[in-house]
Amino acid sequence: MSSATLFTDDPHDVQDGAPLLQRLSGIQPVKLLVIGCAIFILLALIAYPLALLIGYSVIDAQGNLTFDTFEKAFNRRGMWAATVNSTMLVGLVTAGACALGIPLAWIVARTDAPGKILVTLAAGISFVIPSFISVVSWIFLAAPNSGYLNKLAVEYLGFTQAPFNIMSFGGLVFIEIIGVYPLVFFAVSAALNNVDASNEQAARVLGAGRLRTTLTITLPLVRPAILSAVILVMLDALSSFGAPAAIGTMANFSVITTKIYDLLKFPPQFNYAAAVAMPIMVFTAVSLLIQKYAVRAENFRTLTGKATSDQITTLGRWRWVAAGFCIVVIFATAVLPIGALLLLSVLSSFGADITLSNLVTKHYALIFDPDFVARGSIINSLLLALATATVCAGLGLVLGWVVERVRFFGREAITFLVMIAYGFPSIAYAVGILMGYVNLFYGTLTLILIAYAGKLLPIAFVLVRNGIQQLSTDLEEAARISGAGWLRSVRDVTFPLVRGAVGIAWVLVFSLSLRELSMSAILSQADTQVMPTVVIQFIEDGAIELAAALSVVIVTVSLSILGLIRFFSRKKTAVVS
Amino acid sequence: MNFYSPATGIVPDAPVATAQPPRLELRDLRKRLGDTAAVNGIDLQVAPGESVVLLGPSGCGKTTTLRMVAGFLQPEGGEIHLDGTLASNASFALPPEKRRLGMVFQTYAVWPHKTVAENVGYGLVVAGGKRAEIDREVAAVLDLVQLGDLARRYPSELSGGQQQRVALARALATKPTLLLLDEPLSNLDASLRQEMRFELRALQKRIGITTLYVTHDQDEALVLADRVVVMNKGRIEQVGTPEEVYRTPASRFVGNFVGTANLLEGTVVTVDRAAGRVSVALYAGDIATARASAGWLATAAPGQHATLLLRPEDIRFDRPEKPDQQTGLDVRFVSAAFLGSRYELQLTANDTPLRVQSRTPGTFTDDRARLWFRPDSAWVVA
Repeated sequence: MSSATLFTDDPHDVQDGAPLLQRLSGIQPVKLLVIGCAIFILLALIAYPLALLIGYSVIDAQGNLTFDTFEKAFNRRGMWAATVNSTMLVGLVTAGACALGIPLAWIVARTDAPGKILVTLAAGISFVIPSFISVVSWIFLAAPNSGYLNKLAVEYLGFTQAPFNIMSFGGLVFIEIIGVYPLVFFAVSAALNNVDASNEQAARVLGAGRLRTTLTITLPLVRPAILSAVILVMLDALSSFGAPAAIGTMANFSVITTKIYDLLKFPPQFNYAAAVAMPIMVFTAVSLLIQKYAVRAENFRTLTGKATSDQITTLGRWRWVAAGFCIVVIFATAVLPIGALLLLSVLSSFGADITLSNLVTKHYALIFDPDFVARGSIINSLLLALATATVCAGLGLVLGWVVERVRFFGREAITFLVMIAYGFPSIAYAVGILMGYVNLFYGTLTLILIAYAGKLLPIAFVLVRNGIQQLSTDLEEAARISGAGWLRSVRDVTFPLVRGAVGIAWVLVFSLSLRELSMSAILSQADTQVMPTVVIQFIEDGAIELAAALSVVIVTVSLSILGLIRFFSRKKTAVVS
Repeated sequence: MNFYSPATGIVPDAPVATAQPPRLELRDLRKRLGDTAAVNGIDLQVAPGESVVLLGPSGCGKTTTLRMVAGFLQPEGGEIHLDGTLASNASFALPPEKRRLGMVFQTYAVWPHKTVAENVGYGLVVAGGKRAEIDREVAAVLDLVQLGDLARRYPSELSGGQQQRVALARALATKPTLLLLDEPLSNLDASLRQEMRFELRALQKRIGITTLYVTHDQDEALVLADRVVVMNKGRIEQVGTPEEVYRTPASRFVGNFVGTANLLEGTVVTVDRAAGRVSVALYAGDIATARASAGWLATAAPGQHATLLLRPEDIRFDRPEKPDQQTGLDVRFVSAAFLGSRYELQLTANDTPLRVQSRTPGTFTDDRARLWFRPDSAWVVA
């Protein structure tokens, strides 16, 4: 290198030329502060409780590493039965959701069956209704003896005894299946729509028949979607709490999650709770790893598009069989539950004949009565949803920006941490939060807020990060060059351009907060009841009509707030890529 | 490696002697991206009012250099000085907003949620100017880029070329001391791109703004530059006026990258240092006289290997009065294409491929012809 000879050879002797003041201005305190705070909050929300959870399960009171806790915890009475129940639940629900979701997805995406839009709508509704609310509906419909479908069957269809019993393990499986099959349905139908027609056309041109093409081309192409959905369904079934709690109490059986809940009743046994949560955590971690490495490696084809007419199978006579299947699904997963819920909430008492004179509004009156527990829970829920949505949207914005825009070694760690929180079973996470913050925030809404925010942050993070990903960095850099500091460039350019994504994240988090049960059940105290815990309380107390009325409130608020998404997703401006 | 034009041995328009500090000075600038040395020791000075173009293939480090100047990347070695003050080194980086620069991005980066006027006026608003004053300045700079009528529009309502002008106006509005342009024309269609080249050049001359321009398009570089900096693999291959880099490239790389190059290998027969020439016995046949850089001549000796560069338009069918060759180059016809303004001929001379641009299709006997170099056009690249 001789090129430097004309200039000064020593690069250090010119540094004096830069005044100290100017050199200090290279530091950007606001940026460091905001990012530092966001990362601190992230660690406090997610890393700390998880570390505690693991620590408690393997470290005894004397601070020694031990696996005794596991042994003792699982030797407790009923624990093995609960484990077996959980395993069976996961297996049956996964099989059922696939058996329902995959054919339905194929019918909707690839056939000429009538009423396809209704199926999608029903799946959407079914997905929005949390399982503990489904329980309310299905108690009304299929409780042994007094369930209205049972009455119908016995009185008019000649059954000698009630054919349905929702208050059983089978009933629980059924409710879980209709709650999670939309995951399979949406994933597979999206994947089917994304398979580019030319893939199948190529096989047809080479002489493969329709069936052979489906089996050798189409199905392998959607396999990653099925696998992803199966993993999600398994995790959902394993960590489900609402329906097992409601039904298990009445039918007298337990699963792992309800056992954890029992262990935290007074006197709370954190060590055992943490130890029992451990299998769920391990299963979750393994599943997420499978998802990351097996599924992602295979997920090499995501093309956009709709099924072309060439890909649509004409069903002929089978068209009406498919239609019948669709109608059954629509009724069982959406029409009946929603109808039952509405009806029950205005019925004078469960079991009364459905006549106009028996329709009353007293349950709603009681729900909104200032002296009754329900009204406080509504206010608490709304406050929490508001705070959670705002915290998550803000935190998601900062972290999304950091991960997308700052090059440093911790980027991957942030993503990893956030995604762990996503896959993490709520019930175990709540145990961690309880151990970490019970002394500071016992019996306050803050405690619940921390749990909600940590658990729902991933949703906001992913949405906002995707939004930022789509923004060219040039747009922000142009602001910097124009003289705007970091904060100002985020305020003037980044935020206005990802406002849609932030808005959608806010709405989703708000809506999900409203229906959160498993963490609320563990963390709420007498003064900090939220709507879902009160619903469960009503079910356990046999006040099923009140449970229905409060459920209607939850569903109504959730759906109307979700309606705001349309407002946010309307694109006002075109982004230059 | 010597980065000066070997032809003259000095930097053309050398800004070193002027009393004013250079607008921009890069000293031994270095930056690694991943495993590769994206920028591997760059020295450059840009004088006030000068237009310097960084030219090179993708991955040569030109954009990395520009982004370090802008302050988006921090160098790992060396220094960047703006107006004589340190802006970046390995341990310090003045943030972009404090550098008083203007920049036009490849993607334009026109903010879609702001009107044209808001885009252009943003820098002035940030600087805290008075409303009326800002409006006046915005109007003036929009007139400069002929967008006066579109101030109230949103970018999505503008064509690519118009967005490009908005980006330019925005960069100029704050009256920066240095304007950075990162392949600003590469997203435009071909005809608009050609038009904008000349317009940009005229604008630059008119307002006399110092510019650092990055492109991989050699034609663009030749039109826009006072000096072209040809880069390759993180280093500077040559700095010179457009004429110098085209006619007297410092290396094979420069010869090939700037324009089309015919490279003819041969052996040095005689060296005439006084005249700055050598005669070379070409492997393709014939003995030709060629100019060479002083640096190369200093060590040149008969019997040594040499490579001659000839541009396609410098090879002709007519024998000049005082040819640089003894017999003319004996070539065989391979193919010809008519390109409207000229014929593009593919020929071979003793197995060496040759590309020739000619106004006429040429006359070949038995597919053979004799070709002559335009006097003084042959140049030794190595």
